[in-house]
Amino acid sequence: MKDRWEIILSGVGGQGLILGGSILGEAATVYGDAKATLTSSYGVETRGTFTKSDIIISKREIYFPEVMKADVVLALAQAAYDRYAGKLDPDCLLVFDSGTVTAAQNVQASQYGHPFNRLALELGNPAIANIIAIGTIVGLTQAVAREAFYQALEARFSEKPKAAELNRRAFDKGLELAGKKE
Amino acid sequence: MNPNNSIRFIQGNEAIAEGAFAAGARFYAGYPITPSSEIAEISSRRLPQLGGLYIQMEDEIGSIAAVIGASASGKKSYTATSGPGFSLMQENLGVAVMAEIPCVIIDIQRSGPSTGLATKPAQADVMQSRWGTHGDHGIIVLSPSSVQECFDLTITAFNFSEKYRTPVILLADEIVGHMKEKMIIRKPGTYDVTDRKQPACDPADYKPFQADADGIAPLAAYGSRFIVRLTGSTHDETGFPNSKPENADKFIRHYTDKIENNKDDIVMTKEYKLEDAEFAVITFGCSTRSALEAMDLARGEGIRVGVLQLVTIWPFADSQVRALCSRMKAIIVPEMNLGQIIREVCRVNDSGIPVIGVNKVNSEAITPFEIMEQIREVSKCRK
Amino acid sequence: MPEMKYDDYLVKSRMPLFWCSGCGNGIVLGAILRAFAKLQLDRHNTVVVTGIGCWGKADDYINTNTFHGTHGRALGFATGIKLANPELKVIALMGDGDGATIGGNHLIHAARRNVDITAIVVNNFNYGMTGGQYSGTTLEETYTTTSQFGHIESAFDLCRLVEAAGAPYVARSHVLNVIQLEGFITEAIRKKGFSFVEALSPCPTHYGRHNGMKTAPKMMQWIKENAITLKEAEKKPQAEWENKFVIGKFTDKESVDYSTRYEAVMALAEASVSKGVSEREG
Repeated sequence: MKDRWEIILSGVGGQGLILGGSILGEAATVYGDAKATLTSSYGVETRGTFTKSDIIISKREIYFPEVMKADVVLALAQAAYDRYAGKLDPDCLLVFDSGTVTAAQNVQASQYGHPFNRLALELGNPAIANIIAIGTIVGLTQAVAREAFYQALEARFSEKPKAAELNRRAFDKGLELAGKKE
Repeated sequence: MNPNNSIRFIQGNEAIAEGAFAAGARFYAGYPITPSSEIAEISSRRLPQLGGLYIQMEDEIGSIAAVIGASASGKKSYTATSGPGFSLMQENLGVAVMAEIPCVIIDIQRSGPSTGLATKPAQADVMQSRWGTHGDHGIIVLSPSSVQECFDLTITAFNFSEKYRTPVILLADEIVGHMKEKMIIRKPGTYDVTDRKQPACDPADYKPFQADADGIAPLAAYGSRFIVRLTGSTHDETGFPNSKPENADKFIRHYTDKIENNKDDIVMTKEYKLEDAEFAVITFGCSTRSALEAMDLARGEGIRVGVLQLVTIWPFADSQVRALCSRMKAIIVPEMNLGQIIREVCRVNDSGIPVIGVNKVNSEAITPFEIMEQIREVSKCRK
Repeated sequence: MPEMKYDDYLVKSRMPLFWCSGCGNGIVLGAILRAFAKLQLDRHNTVVVTGIGCWGKADDYINTNTFHGTHGRALGFATGIKLANPELKVIALMGDGDGATIGGNHLIHAARRNVDITAIVVNNFNYGMTGGQYSGTTLEETYTTTSQFGHIESAFDLCRLVEAAGAPYVARSHVLNVIQLEGFITEAIRKKGFSFVEALSPCPTHYGRHNGMKTAPKMMQWIKENAITLKEAEKKPQAEWENKFVIGKFTDKESVDYSTRYEAVMALAEASVSKGVSEREG
């Protein structure tokens, strides 16, 4: 297994990418023994424009906290997909929302398109698309242990058992999708 | 496992707030500004839990005034802001210098001048933090490069401010302030907390500006058994105005001397792989991380590079940098401004070695590759 | 504590006063110190906060705790002093330039917040210390060193301003009504909440000189002739008094002060436990 993962979570504001990245980071550091950094780039708008978070998970010290060579890119919006798809190396995993993103042909990265937004609606809440997608990333990379992610979810939603359960199901759904190419 | 610590994955801004609570700070007055607002939000929730007080003032001028006032009433006090708000605070920062009132001002630097790019990082307040308020004075400025340092240096900032009866500036940046990282929250009792010296004399004899042998005057709080006269006007030991030239001279020198004469205590640096280095990167804040990554890249190519991180920016690490210049072939200074720290490096570069800046003001972090490029250049020249 | 007389609060060694002959500041200072004595304020528990300007020198003559800050910011400092230790009596002394012009924003916000501070503004209609330039209370069509063709801005009615901002105690008097002034100041200090007293005062050296009132008596007379009591004003149509100085107590009501309200915040905060945080011993 790789000892360093450089992951970009991208989409538009309001999709919960920073939250998803935070839970991933908590799973890696608080409930795992890795180091992690999370940086986010955003504009002055809270909703609707391009945002990205860089999360690096590593067994070693992490100095520069921005992704230098992406191992995984998550694109939950077309604008995000278009920004990265053409620039990725063959060994990079490109995970995207197949419901809202039209995939390009000449992409070198391994593509994993799943209808995260639709699946989230099916599970009962469009806001959990981020967690399904992160489940898929965890399933594909094993960058953090599943159990650690469950613990991080539990802590985060300690006062909201319904939300905890929903997010857990979302994460499981994502894990299940890992490896399946749509 | 260490029961004295707890591990969390949090933002630099959260860590700064936690550091303030850990240092015993119990009063925050501020005005919201990106990218510092998380410090206000967390303080507004946590301070009342700790028996402390949070107040949002009408502007940054009122904020620092309230912080100074609260400190005079005996509470460890702080505010957080960014470049535009820091500019508004400068006049009253001088009051804290002149009246020798401990307080901590946190500046999460963003791209400027003026409104600039409100959500984007910069490191361009280095000189504002040194000379922003008018008149001669010494100032202590610390700069964190990691979330852990945000916590630890905030405690140190309060300790220095209490020890030297002076405002201290924590000069962080948007990258470090908003970055989340693994961090250890130290539990009380596992770190030092300094409280300002209290007068031991008879209340009738107390003079709020009468320095002890260590150069620092004890500061009683309002409401104590001592009468405390504090002022931003030139005063003598009693706190009454005194315009005699010899008195003005004495006190204005004192504001500089009490900091500069204690550099051995105040100046903190971190050294990385400098033992066998031929080239050094001197840096601070977020750029430290790029420098360390570049150091490893360079060493991978067989170039012996080390890093000197300036943890204390002001007073400047003259002797450490001077000594480093005398044994390096060249020095590289990356900073997210057009060259503020590099001036200081050049000032003490008695050996006359090449000092090269890597300067970036496009709102993006300096990448390790950009530093690496300069390292390759200088290493070619010097072979 | 032995009984304090008004001059027990006075720093006699700083005499004579710094102010010009004919200035009204000394009269206001006397009224303040008599109010202190009436209330038997504990010097150790009292903080006098000043800004910059002629009246900003007032703290030099008062032997309580003092804080002499920057121009316009006395209320900012006072807010921190008071909120950090709600037991203190905090009295901010400001002029019209200091407290109501450069510091106008702090004034309305301190009133709105209802911080338990007493603010006393001595209004002499201009910036005295810097040589008689116009301020936020300089009257329209009058002359100052920076309105040499007649002032074209209208003046703040400070009491109405502070009252509208929500202060529970607002009163105005002038240096000829010194008993009334002293009474207002006493009530204001006693008031729990933000209290505001405006004292109209002559500046014959600057404002008077530029407006045909070179001597103190002339300026005093002008204040007196242009003053009308609130009671009289209420009986007359507005047109008859709107350009006069309305003297009296505008507001005296009960309103829970900031520190008391904050106690409720603290109780709620202490009851709330931090949840939803990922944390482990390590």
